[in-house]
Amino acid sequence: MSLLANPLATPSQLYHRASSSSLPRELDEAVFVATQCLTQAAGRLLQLPQSVTAQANVLLARFWLTESPMAHEFSDASAAAIYLVAKLGPLPRSPRDVSNVYAYLSSANSALFPTDELLKDDPRSYYQTEADYYAFQQRMLGLEARILHSIGFETHVSLPHSLAITYLQTLDFLLQPRTTVSLRTIQYLNTALLSPQMLYITHQPNALATAAIYNAARDLGAKMPEHEWWEIFDVDREELGFLVVAMRSLDGWMQKLKDEFPSFGSKVLTRSMVEEELAKRGLHVGNGDQAPVDAEDEVMRMMDNR
Amino acid sequence: MSSKPKSRWANTAEDAEFEARLKKEKEEKRRKKAQKLQEEEQKKQALLAASSATPRTAEANDDDGDDNNQDASAPSNTNDTITPSSSSSSALLRFDVGTWKPCRSVDHYDKLNDIEEGTYGFVARATEIASGRVVALKRLKLEPGDPNGLPVTGLREIQILKKCRHRNVVAMEEVVVGNDLSKPDNSIFLVLEFVEHDLKSILQDMPEPFLSSEVKRLLLQLTAGVSYLHQHYILHRDLKTSNLLLSNRGLLKIADFGMARLVGDPRPKLTQLVVTLWYRAPELLLGARDYGAAVDMWSVGCIMGELITREPLLQGSNEVDQISKVFELCGVPTDDSWPSFRRLPNARSLRLPKHTPPQASGSVIRARFPNLTAAGASLLNSLLSLDPDRRPSAAQMLDHEYFRQDPKPKPESLFPTFPSKAGQERRRRHEPDAPVRGQAVALGDVDFSGIFQGRDKEERGAGFSLRMV
Repeated sequence: MSLLANPLATPSQLYHRASSSSLPRELDEAVFVATQCLTQAAGRLLQLPQSVTAQANVLLARFWLTESPMAHEFSDASAAAIYLVAKLGPLPRSPRDVSNVYAYLSSANSALFPTDELLKDDPRSYYQTEADYYAFQQRMLGLEARILHSIGFETHVSLPHSLAITYLQTLDFLLQPRTTVSLRTIQYLNTALLSPQMLYITHQPNALATAAIYNAARDLGAKMPEHEWWEIFDVDREELGFLVVAMRSLDGWMQKLKDEFPSFGSKVLTRSMVEEELAKRGLHVGNGDQAPVDAEDEVMRMMDNR
Repeated sequence: MSSKPKSRWANTAEDAEFEARLKKEKEEKRRKKAQKLQEEEQKKQALLAASSATPRTAEANDDDGDDNNQDASAPSNTNDTITPSSSSSSALLRFDVGTWKPCRSVDHYDKLNDIEEGTYGFVARATEIASGRVVALKRLKLEPGDPNGLPVTGLREIQILKKCRHRNVVAMEEVVVGNDLSKPDNSIFLVLEFVEHDLKSILQDMPEPFLSSEVKRLLLQLTAGVSYLHQHYILHRDLKTSNLLLSNRGLLKIADFGMARLVGDPRPKLTQLVVTLWYRAPELLLGARDYGAAVDMWSVGCIMGELITREPLLQGSNEVDQISKVFELCGVPTDDSWPSFRRLPNARSLRLPKHTPPQASGSVIRARFPNLTAAGASLLNSLLSLDPDRRPSAAQMLDHEYFRQDPKPKPESLFPTFPSKAGQERRRRHEPDAPVRGQAVALGDVDFSGIFQGRDKEERGAGFSLRMV
């Protein structure tokens, strides 16, 4: 197994996911983006480096390729992914820390969602009782095992960030300081983690790195070599083109989402919010989806009783 | 781009949007360029520029009505538009990568019999029902109430085994799970290739020791495996004969990665609580936390000694006893033989004999292994250097003179076969287990000043013996 490559989603997996999803496409995408943002925020609060948080983003994307997001609470899945990745890496975090961070992010006091009024720090809003903590921990650990089973223990993630820096060192951007170009490149790579097109599980790191460099150079008006330089990095034109657009379109897409789904971005997205939104649109979560939700609740109750 | 491949992404909405935008952009660019060229033309009257500009504008007009997205799906980044001459397709590096799918259930396998219980799991022999293949199923030990969830050692083992593909490293085929999917303590099984023997029970049961040609082949295979691991930033950290498997065809495989971990460069701080006591390197015994591949090489040295004598080389009863046994065999560390040892945490409490003549406190490896050739002894000596920096790397060891000397390493196919122990009653002698996570023991005040008393009365030097090939 190469240290530079990732396992990728197959076309049939992607098709299956798109066709069997219980949610309308834009809601499904909203859930994905909102949860990935939440994971990023939690990573910051847990003082994890981006190299760890980004891996959690990728694991979550892999998980949701094989299982419906509606089967579990989104924030729990996010917590389990970040806990698992941190545990495997050099900077493990305790379940207690993870629990506190997610309780804070879901609270009314959360700094993740800017409100007009000034935030009063009110610790009561994110205080967790021992029972809350225990319930959270049980859900998270159950999901940890669940994620590992669903992704077949495929926890290896190669990130494109370091590759991008290496690539940049081989390129000479005239008139642009290297730090500006590399900063912009990394920004594109980090934004791409949130993309509902799930770029990190459909494309190899080298392609992501090249596309981010291309975008950064274009944003900054840097002059690029005049031949097909991306082939040096083993990316073909078509793949590069797709990724370039995918990365650039994210901004407008987020705007559209906020317009269509007003409660998005005002607090942590939960399953009940999505169900409400579905009801508003005259849809309901069908039979196929009801069963796993119930089973889940039952398991929760069993765990609480233990 | 003359072949006009159909785009995989041709039907997405973004693509269409991008296509439209790109076309506009491209058109604009071309127009500008044409304009510029025309200006140039006017200025310089360059015939060449004029001739290249005209076809290009024409081509741009063509593009408008063209539905094909071969150009549009790719960015138009440079001033150089796509011309047939720039379309020579180059060979791009593609990794052969897999995908992921949910774990299968353990029900696909039928258990035959238990093999052994290790520190981190139980191993059983089983067959895959569909194919009838025999495999080893290793069940991870899970603690139901563990507040930290799945054990990190087990997860690391899976992660590392997934990365390893080498003939001298045991291969993991897949991971299967029990049927209580929603429970956090649902059982997890590693499906490993089944190998008939472990080296330890062979050594215990064989009436005659391995021939030196066999020792060489086993060592070569071990070193090749270790070298592969180290190249891939993996420290095994629990090499010992009971973790080395031997197939009926003489193929050696390194197993049990419960202690292994990936290390980056620079190395992270690691725990010194690794490696089964008898195979533990002196820097670990002295509490080093910044150690590297050399700890595995020390274990390789211990294994080499064990292969020759059939007995574990250094059987300490506890940490203190172990380190005194190490010093007895390899000599006490001096500022000369191990310059940095005084800086290790546990070195402060050591009281070493002072002013001993070097010949009485040096290594006695040569004397312990009288049958070994000079090259063999020098290899063993260097593997068992107290100073980790003086031990050879696995790659260096593969080139050692010892393996080129007669007797040559015996081909694997000529290895003797042994009755398989798997399933029979275990007749295991006691051996310390791999350390478990927890507090490291401090050595305390230890007085080693007496360990070399009476050594000069011992018989020294090599005797002679018949060489067995």
